[in-house]
Amino acid sequence: MTDSTSVDGRFVAFMRAAQAGDADAYAQLMREITPRIRFVVRSRRKFLSADDIEDLVQDVLLSVHAVRATYDPSRPFMPWLLAIIRNRLADAARRYARRTRQEVFVDNLDVTFAGESANSIKETYADPEALRLAIQTLPDGQRSAIEMLKLREMSLKEAAAACGTSIGALKIATHRAMTALRKKLMRNND
Amino acid sequence: MIKDTEGLIRRLAQNVEPVRPLPNPWIRTAVWLGVSVPYLVVVMIIMTPQQHLSAMVSDPRFVIEQISALLAGLAAAVAAFATIIPGYRRRLLLVPLLPFVVWFTSLGQGCLQDLARHGVQASLLPHDPLCFLFIVLFGAVPGIAMVVMLRRGAPLTPRLTAAIAGLAAAGIGNFALRLVHPEDVSVMMLVWHVGGVFILSVLAGGAGHYVFNWRLLTAPSRNSAQ
Repeated sequence: MTDSTSVDGRFVAFMRAAQAGDADAYAQLMREITPRIRFVVRSRRKFLSADDIEDLVQDVLLSVHAVRATYDPSRPFMPWLLAIIRNRLADAARRYARRTRQEVFVDNLDVTFAGESANSIKETYADPEALRLAIQTLPDGQRSAIEMLKLREMSLKEAAAACGTSIGALKIATHRAMTALRKKLMRNND
Repeated sequence: MIKDTEGLIRRLAQNVEPVRPLPNPWIRTAVWLGVSVPYLVVVMIIMTPQQHLSAMVSDPRFVIEQISALLAGLAAAVAAFATIIPGYRRRLLLVPLLPFVVWFTSLGQGCLQDLARHGVQASLLPHDPLCFLFIVLFGAVPGIAMVVMLRRGAPLTPRLTAAIAGLAAAGIGNFALRLVHPEDVSVMMLVWHVGGVFILSVLAGGAGHYVFNWRLLTAPSRNSAQ
């Protein structure tokens, strides 16, 4: 009690001098109250990171500086300071809530638009029977490439070994097969 | 975020200038009255006080209503000045309640008497809607003076501060208005005068956040520290 009273008395003296324009007393006051502000902020906002806590501490210091004329030297200092800290913390919480309300969380989608033109990479086809018939009409080399790489999901190396052909030739056959299938299926849709 | 807190402290201390501590809310209310009363008197003289004012002053109900309206305005001013002092007694916010209750009670009693005496139709006589504008006119300078004075304080409760300040300015404006404006039946007094005071108070409360806010207050020192 006596200790806190004497500490508060020291703050009052510093603040009185600061209000008179004493820069040293003001710096000393700021340095002494900063750990107290940090302690209050940390104990009331346990979930915040160290950077966010320091942000709030600085915010309180700036606020104290801006309204130092509202301190009445005939009254205790700490209730005045605590009222500012409480207010700035509540303000920060309101700001955070407002910011969160304005943010929209979205899934990381593969495509940017729902339109068909934006989904050119999508290779699934809605009519499996039509796709099966279309594959049947492909030349032998292209059909085998599609069956092995797309249907059985073999690697290029495995498929090349199975066909007895090179990887390059297999790639070309797959590309031609995909182009032919796309054209055929689009014709069917029309 | 500013780079380091110690650097911020050094900058703030370097730029510290002498400030005069704000006087307590009672003294500030007296200063506010000192600014507002001459303006109100000038407007009242321009608008010519009511001819029957001396007779009205002998009516106890008129006197009670005027005193309570004036006290409500003054108490609201004290409360508004208290809201900008960190750690100040919040009980002061309750002080305007008593005169407001007296004011309402007196007006409510007058309404009932008018209704009993003249009936509903007679009590709803058309009223000059300029009343509301007159309250704005009378409350303008007291309101501006109060905003200027309140901006020297801490914007702890911007909307509440502005609403109470609006109540104080419109309350004192209404007090002056009744000295120059023809007396009306109580129902319409309640609607236009009390309603007008409250509408101004609500409007002021809505704008409070724009007039009193920490961002404006701390911007100069924040900019100089970055």
